[in-house]
Amino acid sequence: MRAMIVKEFRELSRDRRTLAMLIGMPLLLLVIFGYAANFRVPTVTAAAVGPGASQLATTLPSSFFDVTRIEPSGTRADAERLLKDNTVDVAIVTGRQPALALVDGSNLFASQAIVSVLNTFGDKVSSQILYNPDLKTSWVMVPAIIGLILTFIGTIVTSIGLVRERETGTLEQLAVMPIRPSTVILGKISPYFLVASLDMVVITGLGMLLFSVPFNGNGFVFALGAALFLFVVLGLGVLISTISQTAGQAIQTAFMFLLPQILLSGMIFPLDAMAAGVRWIGYLLPLTYFTMISQGVMLRGASLTSLWLPFVMLAVMAVVVFSGATLRFRRDLAPGRRHRHAAVTSGADARRDVTHATDAERNRR
Amino acid sequence: MTSSDLDGVSPDELLRADRAGRRFGEVVAVEDVTMSVRRGEVVGLLGANGAGKTTLIRMLLGLIATSTGEVALLGGPPDRERRSRLGYVPQGLGLYGDLTVRENLAFSAQAYGASAPPLPEALRTAADRLVTALPLGLQRQLAFVCALAHDPLVLVLDEPTSGVDVLARAALWDTIHEQAERGVGVLVTTHAMQEAEQCDRLLLMSRARLVAQGSEADIIGATTAVAVRTDDWARAFAVLNEAGQPAMLAGRDVRVVDADAGRVRQILSDAGLRAEVVAVPATIEERMRVLAGA
Repeated sequence: MRAMIVKEFRELSRDRRTLAMLIGMPLLLLVIFGYAANFRVPTVTAAAVGPGASQLATTLPSSFFDVTRIEPSGTRADAERLLKDNTVDVAIVTGRQPALALVDGSNLFASQAIVSVLNTFGDKVSSQILYNPDLKTSWVMVPAIIGLILTFIGTIVTSIGLVRERETGTLEQLAVMPIRPSTVILGKISPYFLVASLDMVVITGLGMLLFSVPFNGNGFVFALGAALFLFVVLGLGVLISTISQTAGQAIQTAFMFLLPQILLSGMIFPLDAMAAGVRWIGYLLPLTYFTMISQGVMLRGASLTSLWLPFVMLAVMAVVVFSGATLRFRRDLAPGRRHRHAAVTSGADARRDVTHATDAERNRR
Repeated sequence: MTSSDLDGVSPDELLRADRAGRRFGEVVAVEDVTMSVRRGEVVGLLGANGAGKTTLIRMLLGLIATSTGEVALLGGPPDRERRSRLGYVPQGLGLYGDLTVRENLAFSAQAYGASAPPLPEALRTAADRLVTALPLGLQRQLAFVCALAHDPLVLVLDEPTSGVDVLARAALWDTIHEQAERGVGVLVTTHAMQEAEQCDRLLLMSRARLVAQGSEADIIGATTAVAVRTDDWARAFAVLNEAGQPAMLAGRDVRVVDADAGRVRQILSDAGLRAEVVAVPATIEERMRVLAGA
């Protein structure tokens, strides 16, 4: 019994990934639930449009409404545009009695808070919720869940598929074959890309069918966002496979990538409600930007122009992550494949060999 | 393959290492190895586990870089183009367990830009079975068929007969010799010394270095062993080892390599053991022990 316990502790102390899960995960959960698990949105961005815009802006309680746009010459159409472009959470149209507050229902918790505050204004302001008039949770969750499913396929399934090549020894055979490393990578991820795309279509269709989630935007914009996002998560899957020797390790590592995406991407807890200290993590996660795109396109009918920021962020992430993953995978496939014809060993070469040996050792762990 | 295929390749040495070495940090895996494989030659790369055989092969295949020296495949660096004329059977076989026999062969042939050849009789009946469901002997046979599908000029086989029965082993060696007769250069690693006789030339590795090369007779040279036949072989074994004569068991015979027959006879006589003591030529394995000890 004692020998078993000692053996187990010894193994555990050398298994860095499990240690990271045992120590890092509770810390992460504590921080997330302490600082991020908050449904109460403290402030919202607002716009005042119409002839009484300036006056209205001064009367709105600044502790809740952060008035970022005042457009005295604006109309209801301008107010709707501001909401559609996700410039503000609420746009109040003046020049009529009562003033009309248009609320962005795609931002569920913010709109609930806005409606609650507007109710205290009595009959001075009437409100109308756009894009999700009944404030249905499913309407907001389904677009985000599409991203979650793509993340699952992209990271976990892809990394397992690639690690299996290493586990069964076929990666070495592929390395010997006269196939370009880029061909191997593309050949490996293409089926996952197609399956994930098919999954996306099915989930979107089912979401619309079962939960009556609208699809107000352009299908091409949605597909483009999904393709970019898929490149990011597939790149993450390839990256995970390069630092994992077994399927178990790949699942463990992918889970560590997956959990923050679920909790900090704004999918469950609104980003605006998170403490600034953890909110920035959310802005580093690809699911955050895909959710902005999917909710924007499906619920608000947002255009490519108005979604430029999440598109740019995903494009940058796709380039960085995919390039990094490809380079690492190439190194796995052809580690230090340099053909020497001079019997000279430079210091740099020797250092590289040491690095390879160190990497191999690290991977084993 | 026809002879004209080989005529297109200028170097007589299909595989070559010239003072090649490889370090992993502080660990020297291969050091200062010079060797070659010529057309039509079956070269056996022998050595104990950890001697550096697989690292040398990985360098020759271009899977890892040399730390020192150089390697050449078909007269040049082992690049993609040259590797397209190479057939490789890794120790793990490199087959896809979730694909059928036919699918594995099709993939391998396509990867080399060739069309899949017909399956041999033994595999034809299992063509649509998943590879995981096949016995190891058939899996090895399939790995050979895959490696030969594109008519390679060089075959590199890492422990090709490991874990297969005697008949299957003989069949695999027949295939290797058939290829060699057609001009293919074959490099075979094994730690089974009894397979050495199947090779035209042997390379012996020990502790990262190439310690001997040539035919089996060349390598054994004048090295002899003392064979001891006695009823009490267990005691003879113990007595000789206690007397500093490293003895090995071969069946019920006790053998002492590179020893003086008179000295062995004396030790056994002093211990009161009756034994027949004869000086015989050493085996390749015994020569290896001598070289490893050196």
